[in-house]
Amino acid sequence: MSIKQISISTATALGVGAVVATAVASGTVLSLLTQATIYAVFAIGVGLLLRQNGMVSFGHALFFGCSGYAVGIILQMQLMSAELAIIATLAGLLLIAFAMGLVMVRVPGVAFGMLTLAIGQMFFLTASRSRGLTGGADGMNIEWPNTLFGVSMSVLTKPGSMFLLCWTTLVLVVLLLSLLLHTRFGSITEAVRDNEERARFVGIRTLLPRAAVYALSALVTGVAGLLSALNTGFVSPENLHWSLSGVALMMVVVGGYKALWGPALGAVVYFLAKDILGDFASHWMAIFGVALITVIVFSPTGIAGILDRVFLGRRLARAHHH
Amino acid sequence: MLTINLFNGLTYGALLIVMCSGLALIYGLRRVVNFAHGSLYMLGAYLGYSIAGHSNFWVALIVAPAIMAVLGVLLDRYGFRLLQDRDPLTVVLVTFGLLLVIEDFVQTVWGKSNLSVQAPAALNFSVDLFGTSVPAYRIAVIFVGLSVAVGLSLWLRFSKVGLFVRASSTDPTTTAMQGVNTDALSAGVVGLGTALAGLAGIVAAPFLSLSPSMSSDVIIDSFVVVVVGGLGSLAGAFVAALVLGMVQSLGAVYLPDVSAILPFVIMVVILIWKPAGFAGSRT
Repeated sequence: MSIKQISISTATALGVGAVVATAVASGTVLSLLTQATIYAVFAIGVGLLLRQNGMVSFGHALFFGCSGYAVGIILQMQLMSAELAIIATLAGLLLIAFAMGLVMVRVPGVAFGMLTLAIGQMFFLTASRSRGLTGGADGMNIEWPNTLFGVSMSVLTKPGSMFLLCWTTLVLVVLLLSLLLHTRFGSITEAVRDNEERARFVGIRTLLPRAAVYALSALVTGVAGLLSALNTGFVSPENLHWSLSGVALMMVVVGGYKALWGPALGAVVYFLAKDILGDFASHWMAIFGVALITVIVFSPTGIAGILDRVFLGRRLARAHHH
Repeated sequence: MLTINLFNGLTYGALLIVMCSGLALIYGLRRVVNFAHGSLYMLGAYLGYSIAGHSNFWVALIVAPAIMAVLGVLLDRYGFRLLQDRDPLTVVLVTFGLLLVIEDFVQTVWGKSNLSVQAPAALNFSVDLFGTSVPAYRIAVIFVGLSVAVGLSLWLRFSKVGLFVRASSTDPTTTAMQGVNTDALSAGVVGLGTALAGLAGIVAAPFLSLSPSMSSDVIIDSFVVVVVGGLGSLAGAFVAALVLGMVQSLGAVYLPDVSAILPFVIMVVILIWKPAGFAGSRT
C-alpha cells in the first residue's frame, strides 16, 4: 500500500467511527461495538507477534491485565497524575516486555507458546491470591480522576464518546504499525522470521529485532488493557486468565494474521457471532472451538485470506476480460 | 510433618508422570504438543465418575482409559495424520480448538459443580509410615505412577514395537522406508498417550475433586514438566514430574505466599540456562 492509500483509508476509517458514534443511538449496541474494538486492539497485538515473528503466544492476557493493574495500583497509591500514570504504564510495559523478549524469543517453536501460557498463568495466580494491593480474586476498582487529558470523565464515559475513543485508538494503532512495518524495521523482522540463519549470514542481528517485535506486541495489547480499564473502571484476575489469551488468539486465526487488520476483523466477527448466538452463547466454547479448527484446516490465512483471494480473483478476472 | 509433605509431593509427582508420559509420547511420534491433553484427562475423570456410579471404581479404572484409547486412535487417524504435513503451530491450534470443544462438552454433560469419586473400599484405610498415618489410596497412586514409568521404559527399551517407536521418533521417513507402518504405529501411540491421560484422570478422581477447572490446573503443571524435562524426553519428564510434585507440596507448607509461582520461577530459570530443557529438545 502506498502512503496515499494509507492516508485515504485512515481518514475513511476515522470518518466511519465518527458517523457510527453519532448515528447509533442504542447504548447496548455502542457498548458491544466498544468491546469489539478493544478486543480488536488486543488481537492486533497478538497477531503482530505471529505476523512479524512467527511466534504464537498463549499468554498475552498477561499484558492486557497487567496494564490495567499497573494504572489501578498507581492511582490507588496516588503516586502521580492519571495522565502520567498512563504514560508510565505503557513505557514500563514496553521496557519490561523487551527484557522478557530477550529471554523468551530464544525458546524454540512450540515451547515458546507453552512458556507464555505458564508465565501468564503465574501472574493470574499471583493476582488472585495477593489480597492487599490487587483485591485478590474480587479485582479492584480503578480510581480515575474527574478529568483525563482535559476531558471530563462524565463526557468520556458516555457510550458514544467511549466508542469513538477506542475506535480512534484502533485506527491509529493500525496506522502507526503499518507505517512502522514499511520501514527497514519491517523488512528486517520479516527476513528474520522467514529464515533466521540466513538473516544472520547477511549481517542482521536477529535477537534484538525479535525482542523488539515482542515488546511492541505487548505494548499494543497493553493499550487495549488500558482502554478496557477506562471502559469498565475495573480490573480483575479474569483480565489475566489464559482463556482470554485463547480468545484473542482465536480472533487472530479466524480473522487472518497475514493482514495487519485481520485480527481486528476476527474480533468483530467474534462479538457479532456471540451476540447472534444469543441463547446458544453458553456453548460458545464448543462453537468457537469448531470454528477455529475449521478455519485452520480449510483456510489457514483466515477470513482476511478468503477476502483477499476473492478480490484478487475478481481483479485478475477483470484484467483478463480487458 | 515433613514425611506427609514429601509423601503428598510424591503422589502428585506420580500423577504428573502418568500425564506427562502421554504428552511426551505423542510429541515424540507426531511432533504435536497436545493442548487438549488436560481436557482429555478431565474427560477421563468424568467418564470414570459415571462408570463408577453405575458399577464400581475398578471397572471405571479399566473402561475409562479404554474409551480414551479409542478416542486417541480416532484423533490420530482423523486429526494428526491428515495434518502431518502442516506447520506444527497449525496442529497446536487445532488441539486448542479441541480443548474448547471438550471443555464445553464436559460442562454440558456433567455440569459446573464439584463432583467426587469415592476411593474403592479395598484401599479405604490408612497405613503407618515412619510414624505418620497416610491413606493407602495415595500409596496406590504412587505405585501406578512408578509402574507407568518403569513399564514404558522397559517397553520402549526391550520390545520390538518399542524399538520402532524410538526409531520413528528419531526419523519417521527412514523408519517407514525400513518397512515399519508408521501410521499404524502413531495411531497406537497416540491411543496409548490418550489412554494415559484418561488413566491419570480416573486415578486422580478420588483425591482431587472433579471440576471444570481441573484441566487447566494440571495442563499447566504438565507443560512446566515437559518443557523443563525437554520436549519428547520421557526420562526428563519423569525426573521433572517428581521434582515439581515435591516443589508444589513442600512450597505450599514452607513458602505459602509464593508457592503458586515457584514452579514457574524454576521453569524460567532453567529455560534461560538451557532453552531446550534438561534432556534437550528433539525438534
